Amino acid sequence: MVNIKFKINGQKKALNIHDDMTALAVIRSLLKLTGTKEGCGIGECGACTINVDGKAVNSCLMLGAQLDGTTVVTVEGLAAKDGLAPVQKAFIENHGVQCGFCTPGILMSVNALLQEIPDPGHEEISKTLAGNLCRCTGYSQIFTSVKEAARLAGQGDQHG
Amino acid sequence: MIKSQYKSIGKNIQRRDVSGKIKGDSQFCADIELKDSISLKVLRSGRHHAVIENIDVAEAMKIPGVLKVFTARDIPGENLMGIINRDQPLLAHGKVRSKADPVALVAALTDDIALKALKAVDVTYTDLVPLLDIEDALAENAPKIHEKGNTLFTRRIIKGDAKTAFEDCHSIVEKQYKTLAIEHNYIEPDAGAGFVDEDGTLVIYASTQNPHYDHQEVVNMLGVEESRVRIIQAVTGGGFGSKLDLNVQGFIGLALYHLKRPVRYIYTREESYLATAKRHPFIIDMKTGTDKNGKLIAIKMRACCNTGAYGSYGIAVATRAAVHGTGPYQIEHVDLECSCVYTNLTFCGAMRGFGTPQAAFAHESQIDIHAQKLGIDPLEIRIINGLKKGSINGTGQKLTDSVGFHDCLKSVKPYYEKASKDWVKQKTSPFIKRGIGLGGMWYGIGNTGVQNPSTARIEIDLKGRVTLFTGCADIGQGSTTILSQIAAEVLGILPEQVRMVVGDTKLTANAGATSASRQTYISGNAVKDAAEKLASVLLTAGVNKLKVSKSMLEFKDHCIRVSGNPNKSVDFAWLAQRIHAKGGSLSWQGYFDPETIPFDPETGQGTPYSTYAFACQLAFVEADVLTGEVNVKKIVAAHDVGKAVHPENVIGQICGGIAMGVGFALMEEFEFGKTESMKDYHIPTCADMPEVIPIIVESDEPTGPFGAKGVGEPALIPTAPAILNALNNALGKRIYNLPANLERVLKASIESGHFSPK
Repeated sequence: MVNIKFKINGQKKALNIHDDMTALAVIRSLLKLTGTKEGCGIGECGACTINVDGKAVNSCLMLGAQLDGTTVVTVEGLAAKDGLAPVQKAFIENHGVQCGFCTPGILMSVNALLQEIPDPGHEEISKTLAGNLCRCTGYSQIFTSVKEAARLAGQGDQHG
Repeated sequence: MIKSQYKSIGKNIQRRDVSGKIKGDSQFCADIELKDSISLKVLRSGRHHAVIENIDVAEAMKIPGVLKVFTARDIPGENLMGIINRDQPLLAHGKVRSKADPVALVAALTDDIALKALKAVDVTYTDLVPLLDIEDALAENAPKIHEKGNTLFTRRIIKGDAKTAFEDCHSIVEKQYKTLAIEHNYIEPDAGAGFVDEDGTLVIYASTQNPHYDHQEVVNMLGVEESRVRIIQAVTGGGFGSKLDLNVQGFIGLALYHLKRPVRYIYTREESYLATAKRHPFIIDMKTGTDKNGKLIAIKMRACCNTGAYGSYGIAVATRAAVHGTGPYQIEHVDLECSCVYTNLTFCGAMRGFGTPQAAFAHESQIDIHAQKLGIDPLEIRIINGLKKGSINGTGQKLTDSVGFHDCLKSVKPYYEKASKDWVKQKTSPFIKRGIGLGGMWYGIGNTGVQNPSTARIEIDLKGRVTLFTGCADIGQGSTTILSQIAAEVLGILPEQVRMVVGDTKLTANAGATSASRQTYISGNAVKDAAEKLASVLLTAGVNKLKVSKSMLEFKDHCIRVSGNPNKSVDFAWLAQRIHAKGGSLSWQGYFDPETIPFDPETGQGTPYSTYAFACQLAFVEADVLTGEVNVKKIVAAHDVGKAVHPENVIGQICGGIAMGVGFALMEEFEFGKTESMKDYHIPTCADMPEVIPIIVESDEPTGPFGAKGVGEPALIPTAPAILNALNNALGKRIYNLPANLERVLKASIESGHFSPK
């Protein structure tokens, strides 16, 4: 067992976890934040993507112990109290969601991308999302959503 | 531009379920947390074909935390499933027919204990000869996988006299095409959960395309009254046909029946790959003949699909492949046959298009080969042969309305002509070859030649609030939104004002499967029927109050008013109270069953579908002749959907279908026994996707709700044919086996001499 302290969606957590527990299991099973999904368990699909210290990470490949000392954001932490984050609004308005299982992971990848590159081009979006599989949309409306998210965020419609 | 007469139809309203999905609140099966829920795991046979001599669970039962190990003996009702033919046991009895066959079900306190118990179950088998491909299964002395033999089904469609007609044909093309198994690969692995409620009802949350079918199977399996089982469709992470079969519902039902405590079963991706249905691999021999002008005169097809260990939807797949074998073309002499054969692979079932994508690969290759032989342009030969109003298809059905194939061709034409002149001829690297290709398709909406009704119920309460009850499973395609638009249009309210109760067998009636691209057309019509009945009684009450005839009234803003006169109106709440006070009903049921005529058993003549969707796609590809890499640059996709109830949803289906089509064309190949996880199976990422130019063609279907047909499966069907035709155009060499992977493309480019450019 190992003790970890970290901040998730603005809240401080101190947990005692099994050494071999993944970050995904910590988030889903211990913290009951089930917005983060498990699609493959081997880092291929990206459904479990979270932000750790601002970077997009496959939480199924990360050990829970590695969360110690970090700041984590999951899909549940995207929206501010007074409304949705730009990326969420953009995905709603541009029909970037079908079944929705890949959506939380995609939103978190996009969230990290926009923090790094506020106005990404097609290639940068493509490179970022190549690790997030979607079987429903064919990605076209997702690209439109991401570009719109960048525009909204750039207008000062910032999260928080 | 003509202003649409509709208020809700044709509008890109917000999806009903999107808010929860973007906040992470939506509860998929794996997210449902039931207090003290126990874990289930299945022991699978791990062998292709064997007799079960003995199953010893004693050691497994001794493990602390193991609650029960179930075998076939514990199933109180009928241990057989199957929506078309019942041949698949929940737990194997007597023998196993594939490596995925479930032999025992462990219920334990945790996943880890359950996994440990699986290893302790001792099964004694005597192996039988495994039959892994169609040839083996059809060999003269092949052992029988099922008692009735290894050919499950054959569908014949015979019209005219193809044999004689070929004698007079000017151009005859005869080729063999092969396609492989494909994994649906929805991103949500199969899962379910359940509990026993205070009334003793077994409540099962399912990731499903057909909750009412699941219900019937679980009831039958447990031998209990219908009201003792309730299936609730959880938010479902895609299906594409695989979630038409039961995944974990039966296991959960069995555990609930015996143990009466909350359970949950989540497949790993590996178990989902191993145990759920695949797209049928096909071998298609196709012969077509034209006159000297390129008019198709005769077709002969002998196709066979490998359904693996169980039928699932195999009969529907073989039937669809046969019916759609002509492609969207009028051919006078037709001799089509498709068989479905058992082997010892994991069973194959429904996948987006039911055999039509495989048949389309063949007929679209054939028509291009004819064009090339005759020196006719590929677009022109499709125009010459394309189905139109008044055409008679292979089953002898005259197409009377909404035949938009020529409109699809017309829509693609400017892109095609421009690309032929410019894009294909632009200078590229000497090792990059460019090509364009067309893919046409037609697709019958709804189940084939059988009844497949839908029902819906609509209710207004005394406050005037409208609720729609539908069994129609929304698996992400957006049917809940579409149905709310249809109800809202009839009642003159906003779609978001229609409360939706969906996919719960206790509360909703059967809407049939979310499959066969049928829900907009069939359930849409059932919803429209229910809403119109309610509208009619509201109008009658309105006449009494407003003292004008029905024809002078209109629905507006939750009221009925005298047309154009906001001052003379009465709201829904008043009307509902009035109807109720008079003893009238506030709840109305709608029903729709498309008109079909069953096949003649000998000739396959009949009316298999009441309406068809049509499409044409144009693919732009670049092939690297040194590496075999293919880059699909652009796809122009024109789809006749009747009427787009929600155009952005239609575009979402088109783009998603194209993605799946790119995978089918170039990269996807499920190898039984080798493909174990998502490391071994690659679906298109966003980096593999072409630019898509969707074109919605609206050719009103008079029997459709506001003219609508369907688009879910049609979206995928023309993509692979268009890409393969474009590859032929680029390489000067045709590929007859899917996928056109690196090896096949490289081989084709070597054979056509591109490897060493001059």
